[in-house]
Amino acid sequence: MAELSVDKLRFRRGHFTLELDRLQIAPGEKVAILGENGCGKTTLLQLLAGLLPPSGGQVRYGNAPLQKIPMIRRARLFALLPQFSDVIFPFSVFEVVLFGRFPHRQGNAFSAEDRQLSAEMLARFDLEDLAERPFNQLSGGEKRRVMLARVLNQQAPLLYLDEPNAGLDIRHALEIFSLLRDRPETIVAPVHDINLAHRFFDRFLLLKEGRLLADVHRAQLTPALLTETYNVQVATGTAAFLFQH
Amino acid sequence: MKRLLWFLFVLTLVGSCLLGSTTIHPFNLTAVERDILFGLRLPRVLFSAVIGAMLGLSGSVYQLTLKNPLADSFTTGAASSAALGAVLAIALGIPLPLVPLVALLTGLGGLLLVYRLARRDGFINPVSMILAGIVMNIVASAVISFSKYYFEDSLSSIVFWLMGGFFVVDWGKLLVCLAVFAVAYLLFSRRALQLNLLALDEHSAQTLGVNVHRLRSFAFVIATLLVAVAVSHTGIIGFVGLIVPHIARSLFGSDMRHNLFYSSLLGALLLTAADTLARIIIPGGAELPVGIVTALLGGSFFLYLLQTRRERFWHG
Repeated sequence: MAELSVDKLRFRRGHFTLELDRLQIAPGEKVAILGENGCGKTTLLQLLAGLLPPSGGQVRYGNAPLQKIPMIRRARLFALLPQFSDVIFPFSVFEVVLFGRFPHRQGNAFSAEDRQLSAEMLARFDLEDLAERPFNQLSGGEKRRVMLARVLNQQAPLLYLDEPNAGLDIRHALEIFSLLRDRPETIVAPVHDINLAHRFFDRFLLLKEGRLLADVHRAQLTPALLTETYNVQVATGTAAFLFQH
Repeated sequence: MKRLLWFLFVLTLVGSCLLGSTTIHPFNLTAVERDILFGLRLPRVLFSAVIGAMLGLSGSVYQLTLKNPLADSFTTGAASSAALGAVLAIALGIPLPLVPLVALLTGLGGLLLVYRLARRDGFINPVSMILAGIVMNIVASAVISFSKYYFEDSLSSIVFWLMGGFFVVDWGKLLVCLAVFAVAYLLFSRRALQLNLLALDEHSAQTLGVNVHRLRSFAFVIATLLVAVAVSHTGIIGFVGLIVPHIARSLFGSDMRHNLFYSSLLGALLLTAADTLARIIIPGGAELPVGIVTALLGGSFFLYLLQTRRERFWHG
């Protein structure tokens, strides 16, 4: 597993600029990115995954600069769950999850092992009953779970998950976050639900207007920091629903 | 299902060979009938099958790479811009073997223009794509009209050719088309698994290890080559590539490893049947251009798609 490091990363698009001088993420870390809409969370993810060319600076995996790593090798280093993902034409849920095995295929076909792993992944996400259903007939939350299964099925050591709980009900959100917490993979995920993020992630990157405001561990995530990040008043210990799984 | 399809295909081929302005009696061949069968009928039937397969295959690839169920050589503007190139080449007197090459270049140009207009931030907007395709069709037909007006000498041949049909067929042309189809089919089927991944959004496909831009460009070039060769031999035959991939998908699933094959087979079946119909529908030996038959079939199918799947297109 390779360490992710960022050095003087710069990105410009129109009036928006993103600047990240230094960032290192060790294998197995669970990192949540917090910040208001349009602060650059998704852009940062796309830069780290090589989907956008940076205007300056470098992203490295281990010792290799990202732009030197060929596309097919990248798929064994990291996997991405985009914020919006779709599938055209009625591919079945099983076929979509099987797509995740693409970087491991032999020749022009999937092996019996690939099918076996995909079936297990479906079971883990409580999706066995949907296996033969066309993906584009599912509800939003079901689609999200199928896509997560597809991403995990890729067996990459680093997962970029753009709002993994978007569209999920509270039970599935809890299930998936606790599943993710116990996985060995490194996880980097923009999350909007701060309370959930606080429970399940160890480290927090606070972004504001394209700049890294703070890079803190759970204990240091204070109301003052959140106030500065989101421009809202933050209180703790108030009466609210508390969800346990 | 597979067997039934093959049976239908063979039946259509045989029927198509025997039916026409002169009906051929296979068990009692006269010398004239033999000449008609082997010199005219058989090459024509095989030719329509190969062209149909080419159009079906290109449609299957276009729909997936452009992520649009309404995409085919016609709606993307590829066919009309290829036709534009072919018409200009014919009108300007460029040697005949070079006509498909000119058609390929203008066809690719038209398709890329439409693709550029429809793509934004890694997503292809299906509505913009259709609109851009319409614009491309209008522009191409305006220039074609101009050539008809300006190059008066070749007017009748251009008009005739544009309606689409298999009027002049020989074994040489047939072999060229068959070779182009075979090469394209092999190239695509070796990449069927990668092509499947293009059904995902661009970022997912890319992080799964598919070089989306390279694969798309490759698919565009080969699919448009199929269209350009087909168009420069037979004129525009619309909608075969639109209908056939949908039927193949509903019968055999969306997996491109099957869809490439069955789109080709069904394309061959459909076009052979349409050409037979075009040959026998007017009694007394007159022929309809096959483009008219396929446009009528395809137009109705297009309306049906718009009616039943509207929701998804407009939100897609």
